[in-house]
Amino acid sequence: MNRLEHILPRVEKPGRYTGGEYNSVEKKWEEAEVKVAFAFPDVYEVGMSHLGLQILYHVVNRRSDALLERVFAPWTDMEEQMRTHGIPLFALESHRPIRDFDVLAFTLQYELSFSTVLNMLDLSGISLWAKERTHNDPIVIAGGPCAYNPEPVAPFLDAVFLGEGEEGLNQILEVIIRTRGQSREEILVALAQVPGVYVPQFYDVHYRSDGVVSEVVPNRPGVPDRIVKQIIADLNGAPFPTRPIVPYLGVVHDRAMLEVFRGCTRGCRFCQAGAVYRPVRERNLPTLLDQARELLRNTGYDELSLTSLSTSDYSRIGPLVENLVSHYAEQKVNVALPSLRVDAFSVELASTVQKVRRSSLTFAPEAGSQRLRDVINKGVTEENLLEAVGAAFTAGWQRLKLYFMLGLPSETLDDVEGIAGLADKVLAAGREARVPRGRLKVTVSASSFVPKPHTPFQWEPQAPLGELRERQSYLMRRLKGARGSSFSWHEPEASFLEAVFARGDRRLADVLARAHALGCRLDGWRECFRYDLWRQAFAETGINPEDYAYRRYAYTDTLPWDHLDPGIGKQYLVLEHRRAMTGETTDDCRHGSCTGCGLCPAFEVEPYTAREPNEPH
Amino acid sequence: MNRIRVAYRQDGPARFVSHLDILRVFERAGRRAELPLAYTEGFNPRPRLTFAAPLPVGMSSAQEIVDIDFCQDILPDELVAALTRQMPGGLTILKGRIVAAAGPALMSILDRAVYTAQGPLSESIPSNEVDTRMESFLSRGEVFVERKTGKGWKRKDIRPGIRRLTWKNTADRIELLMELQSGSWGNVRPDEVLMALAEVLPLQPHQLSVCRTAMLARDGRLLWDC
Repeated sequence: MNRLEHILPRVEKPGRYTGGEYNSVEKKWEEAEVKVAFAFPDVYEVGMSHLGLQILYHVVNRRSDALLERVFAPWTDMEEQMRTHGIPLFALESHRPIRDFDVLAFTLQYELSFSTVLNMLDLSGISLWAKERTHNDPIVIAGGPCAYNPEPVAPFLDAVFLGEGEEGLNQILEVIIRTRGQSREEILVALAQVPGVYVPQFYDVHYRSDGVVSEVVPNRPGVPDRIVKQIIADLNGAPFPTRPIVPYLGVVHDRAMLEVFRGCTRGCRFCQAGAVYRPVRERNLPTLLDQARELLRNTGYDELSLTSLSTSDYSRIGPLVENLVSHYAEQKVNVALPSLRVDAFSVELASTVQKVRRSSLTFAPEAGSQRLRDVINKGVTEENLLEAVGAAFTAGWQRLKLYFMLGLPSETLDDVEGIAGLADKVLAAGREARVPRGRLKVTVSASSFVPKPHTPFQWEPQAPLGELRERQSYLMRRLKGARGSSFSWHEPEASFLEAVFARGDRRLADVLARAHALGCRLDGWRECFRYDLWRQAFAETGINPEDYAYRRYAYTDTLPWDHLDPGIGKQYLVLEHRRAMTGETTDDCRHGSCTGCGLCPAFEVEPYTAREPNEPH
Repeated sequence: MNRIRVAYRQDGPARFVSHLDILRVFERAGRRAELPLAYTEGFNPRPRLTFAAPLPVGMSSAQEIVDIDFCQDILPDELVAALTRQMPGGLTILKGRIVAAAGPALMSILDRAVYTAQGPLSESIPSNEVDTRMESFLSRGEVFVERKTGKGWKRKDIRPGIRRLTWKNTADRIELLMELQSGSWGNVRPDEVLMALAEVLPLQPHQLSVCRTAMLARDGRLLWDC
C-alpha cells in the first residue's frame, strides 16, 4: 500500500483503487486454498454496477476454502502512474499483485473491452498469449456474454466458461484445488472436462480459401466437440447476494439490484441477450420480497432497481410493485423499473413507483416503421407507442426518450423517415396532453445495429459506415426542424469495430495484440477510442476488418462460433431469419405456443414463471 | 426534532473518499441502522446532515464533525454504537453529544482548522537554513497562490489566512503544524500552503501526509464544544 499511497493523491477519483467499501470481504490470504481475482475490463464505476460481479463475489467468498477479490481497469491517469512507478495491477481487497492469484477471471461484457483485457494482463505482468504462460502464472479464464464468441480473444485465454457461473465457477475452483502441483497442461485438460468449459488451445481452426472458417476441431482426445452453456435451472434456490458491496464512489448504477428473472421470451431478432439467456426463469414473489428486504437492510440504499431483460413481463409484476411501494415508500426508498415494455400498462407501473415525476421515461420501439419492426420481431405497434406516450404525458411526464437502431437488415430511407415521423407524432401527443411548450422534450437516440452471434441476424452484414453516417445526418437534419425534439447517437466507428469483433475469429487476435501495442484500451470511452490506431493495427497485420463486419454468411457456412452452443438450435435461427426476411412475426412463447427454439428439450427444462395456479395469463 | 453532534476519525482507505461520498456513507449507514433520521422537505427528501467543512481528498482527519437531525429521541451512546457497526473501512465513530436543534450551522461557527503535515525533504538542508527560509516566508506581507474557481484560475493571497505555522525538521524530514482560516468566511487549504512553501523549501507537496487534527471556533474553542 505504501507506494500506492504516494501515487493516489495524483490521480482522479482515488477511491477507485482503495477498496475497503462496506460489505467488501477481506479474507486471510493464507487460509484460502484457491485465490481468484475477478477482473472487470472497464473502470470501477462501470464494473461495480454489474450484478454478475456481486453474485460471483458472494458465491466464492461464502466458501471457507476460497477467496475472490476485485480488479478493474485503471483510468489513463492511474495507468500512467502505475507504469512510471513500476506498480503492477493489484486487487482491491488485499492490494496484492494479480500475479499472486491462482485464477484471473475476466468478464467479457462487450467487444470493445477486449483491448482492455489485454492491457490488464500486461499491467499484471502476465504474458498476453496463453501458450507463453508458465506454471507461475494464474490460469486466465473468462465468461460473460462475449464468451459465446470469444474467438478474437481466445489465444489470450486459458479457458472460457459458457453460461451462468454460479455453479460452474465452483466446479472450476474444485479442479484448480484438485490439480495443484500439476503441469499447466494437465490443469487445462482437467478444466476441459467441466461442463461449459472451453479451452481454446485444444481446438484447431481451419479456413477455406475464401477466408471463411471451414471447421473447428479438437486437437486432442477427451475434449468435447461442442461446448454447451450451463444454466441454473432453479433460480429460487440460487445464491443471491443480499449483502452486496456498497461503493463509496457514485457508480453508474448506484442502487440495490433485485434480479426478478433471467431470460426473455420476446424473441427480438437482433437481441443476443434474449437468445443466449433462455429459458425464462422467474423468481417467486415471496423470494423477491425477502430478498428486497434483506438488500435494503444490508446496504442502506434509497433505491431498489427491479432488473431483468423486460421487467414489465414478470408474471407477478403488479403485486410485486404494489408490495414494494407500500412497504418502502415511507422509508423514502424509490423503486426503479428499467427496461419497460412499450405499452400503457408499463406507464401505469411507472406511475405507481414514481410519486414525483421528474425523471424521464424511455421507450424502445427500435425501428421507425411497422414493416421493419416486424422484420426484427419487435412486437410493438405505432398504436402501442402512442397509447404509452399518451398515458405518460397524461400522468405528468414531460420528457420522453425514444430508442432506435439504424442499419437494421432491410432498412430503407423510408424506415429512417419513419423514426422522425414517430417523433413528430409523440410531440403532437404531448401538445395534445397540454404539456407546457417549453417543458415538452422528446429525445431520439439512435445507435447502429451490430449483428451478433447466435441470433437470427448472425448471417447478416452490418450496414456500411458511410450509410450509417448518412442516415444519422438525415435524422439530425430532420429532427432539428421539430421544436422540442433532440437527437443523440453513438459513434458508428465504434459500432463497426464492435461488429468486427462480435463476428470475428481467431485471426483477429493479432490485430488486438497490435492495437494494444499501439496504445488502444478503454475503447468504450469516447475520449480514449482511437479509430486511427485501430485502422493502423488492421493495416499492419494485413487483416481487412470489412471482411468481418460486412460479410454475408450462407446458412451452410461454418461460423467461427458454431462449436459454442447456447442451446438455441441453428435450424431455428435459420427459420427465424427466413421469417424476418418475409416480415413474418413470431409469438412470445410466454403466451402458450412453443416457438420451437429447441432450448427446453435440450436442457430438459421448461420456462418457469411465478404465476399462481389458476391465474390467467 | 433533535440534533446529535458526532465526531469521527477518517483515515486508511477513507482518506481517498470525497466529501460528497462521505455524505452518502452516513446516509446509508443511518438507513441500515434504521435510525429515526429527519428528512428534508421537498421533491427529493434527504436525511438532514450538516458537516463542518469538507475534508480535501487524500487527507486524513483525527476528528471530523457532523450534526445529524432525528425525528425521534435517540441517546448519543446508542447512536455511536449503531453507527459504529455500520462504518466501512477507515471511518471510526468517536463520540456523540446532544446539541441545540436550533443552534447555528457548523460551518458558520467554524473559524479555523489545525493541520499537521509531515514528509521528506527532497534534498538535505542545514537546520538553521530551514529556519531562515521559513521565517522569511512568514515575514512576507502577502503569499499568492493560483486557485481554481468556477470561471478558471484566480490569484489569491493566502497570507492573512495563515494564522499560525510552526515547524520541526531533521536533515531530510520536515513536520509542519498549520492553523489555517476555514469556514464560511474564507478558506485556506493546506495543500495551497505546501505549494507556496515548495518555492522556498526542497519539498514536494504530494509526498507529505496531511492530517486535520482540530477545528476551532473564533474564540478558540473546539468546534465539538460549541
